[in-house]
Amino acid sequence: MATVTFDGASRYYAGNDKPAVDQLDLEVEDGEFLVLVGPSGCGKSTTLRMLAGLEGVDEGAIRIGEREVTNLPPKDRDIAMVFQNYALYPHMTVADNIGFHLKIKKMPKAERAERIQEAAKLLDLEPYLERKPAKLSGGQRQRVAMGRAIVRRPQVFCMDEPLSNLDAKLRVQTRTQIASLQRRLGVTTIYVTHDQVEAMTMGDRVAVLKDGVLQQCDTPIGLFGKPKNLFVAGFIGSPAMNLIPAKVNGEGALIGGQTIPLTPAQRSALTGTNVVVGVRPEGWTLKSDGEGIPAMVEVVEELGSDQFLYCSTSAELASVDTEPADEAEAPHTVTVRAPGMSAFQRGEKVALVPQPGAVHLFDAESGDRLPD
Amino acid sequence: MTTTSVDHPPPPAPPAEPASPRRGPGVGAGAGALNLLNGGFMLVWALITTLPLLWAIISSFKTNTEFLSDPWGLPETLRFDNFARAWSTANIGQYFVNSVIVVAISVPLTMLLGAMAAYVLARYDFPGNRVVYFGFVGGMIFPVFLALVPLFFVVRNLQNLPLLGEFLGLNSHLSLALVYVAFSMPFTVFFLTAFFRTQPTSIAEAAIMDGCSHFGLFFRVMLPMAKPGLISIGLFNVLGHWNQYILPVVLMNEPEKKVLAQGLAALAISQGYRGDWTALFAGLVIALLPVLIVYILFQKQVQAGLTAGVLK
Repeated sequence: MATVTFDGASRYYAGNDKPAVDQLDLEVEDGEFLVLVGPSGCGKSTTLRMLAGLEGVDEGAIRIGEREVTNLPPKDRDIAMVFQNYALYPHMTVADNIGFHLKIKKMPKAERAERIQEAAKLLDLEPYLERKPAKLSGGQRQRVAMGRAIVRRPQVFCMDEPLSNLDAKLRVQTRTQIASLQRRLGVTTIYVTHDQVEAMTMGDRVAVLKDGVLQQCDTPIGLFGKPKNLFVAGFIGSPAMNLIPAKVNGEGALIGGQTIPLTPAQRSALTGTNVVVGVRPEGWTLKSDGEGIPAMVEVVEELGSDQFLYCSTSAELASVDTEPADEAEAPHTVTVRAPGMSAFQRGEKVALVPQPGAVHLFDAESGDRLPD
Repeated sequence: MTTTSVDHPPPPAPPAEPASPRRGPGVGAGAGALNLLNGGFMLVWALITTLPLLWAIISSFKTNTEFLSDPWGLPETLRFDNFARAWSTANIGQYFVNSVIVVAISVPLTMLLGAMAAYVLARYDFPGNRVVYFGFVGGMIFPVFLALVPLFFVVRNLQNLPLLGEFLGLNSHLSLALVYVAFSMPFTVFFLTAFFRTQPTSIAEAAIMDGCSHFGLFFRVMLPMAKPGLISIGLFNVLGHWNQYILPVVLMNEPEKKVLAQGLAALAISQGYRGDWTALFAGLVIALLPVLIVYILFQKQVQAGLTAGVLK
């Protein structure tokens, strides 16, 4: 068990001036489950591979516990990795796959068998120990890959999108299994995913990356409740937060005829005259008597437990003059969550009022969150 | 992520196309004709290859009189003494053993060196990688005949080497095997490089994470994974080395060192005077048999090896 520290770690790929991972500073606590999340090409896998030693570190350092591992070969780092496509050895049985590391370490046969048995029991793989990977289902292969990591009792687990090859139902099941297994074993885990639901449900903390730069690292609740900038606000949450550019006047920010008041602290933190108002789909109150932003329901998505209404506003929503090029992107539409099985119809007229506590304000210039 | 995510109502679905009676490709009368053509072609091909073989096998059981009077008929009784004659009198037995010795040295050596070279060329990036690779590929177009005379002198001079010299030189099985290895390397490396390139990188990475050294990675993981490819190319080399004629003719001239192909040729030439045709056919069958058996045993793996790049 150990902490993991990234200390200004950077990675440049050949022929590319922009780093794939840029000056990453990250501390992972002992026994913590940290999820790295971000869109494709954001450097999350590279970060993981740098820790595992499969990718070099061009600047900065990586430490596991007190030990600097920046230039150590992978086998000396005491890290186990679970790959996206599992990377099982096709010519070995499940038992041999799980025990391969121990065999290389020249562990006595009896002890090895015991460790394999123990891991197999933990993952319900006992009946399959003598099979070859080709004869296993996707979920079973995934568990073998987990077993191969567990049996080593490493200091750190690295998991690179281990669930993305499973079907939706199995993925949800395995998600909770992995999370509970990790809590039981107490091994520090770095988990890479592009799926923000996975990130939110599994991680003790979630680190959001974009273009190789760490945007925010916080608990799922912190990330959801107080996104540090526009990118995190738009990335975390599904459907995404409504982000509406607005002009600030003496009273506050104007959206669709409604005024959102700004605190003095927010005003002084503002660099320009424009803000972006963020309201999550569940942050709206639906009124029918015309006191909010008038809108028309365009699409109704019924999920049973919830209903998502995609509404177009008749009035100009943003109070900022958008460039002609941005016209197409200028938001006229708002996503709103309503209780499941509500009677909303397509074409219905509604009025939207943002709930006072549900408004997030961001500086339009820098994209940073304004102080609450 | 856009600022708000709203899907516009989908456009009305285009009117459904009227159900057409048109058949897709591969269905119906056209496909039947194609199958017939395919099947017919395969049948003709199969006959062309198997009939001479069968004829040779049948002839090897006949007496010489039967063979000359009725070349297409079946033998009255099975004459196994043809095989005995070929084996001992025509010395096929000795040649057979010689061939086995040479192939037993040359094929494993080719496979080991070829696989190691191909693996490094396929999976490690180093300056000069392409040059070495194309050097091997270029070797494929180099005809054996062009090298015969210099090769003769090179091999003859090998016996002057210290220590190893007494095992090498002309009329040495080891020399012949080494020459076979040299001539088989280009295609072996070419074939196996392509094979190793298809192997997933993540498995190699997993092995490195599991603590494998480069040698461990190769011998414990990558080589076993390449088994289908190794069997295909190994069999190809067994066939090539077993049937090799021109190299032993140049390099092996002592009668007791000759290999099977030379022995058969000698047997065929001597027929002109003695007329023991059935012994010749028996010798031919003896030469054929190991190749045939090996091929039948490994047929599945050969297919798997040749199509390995296609699957996945």
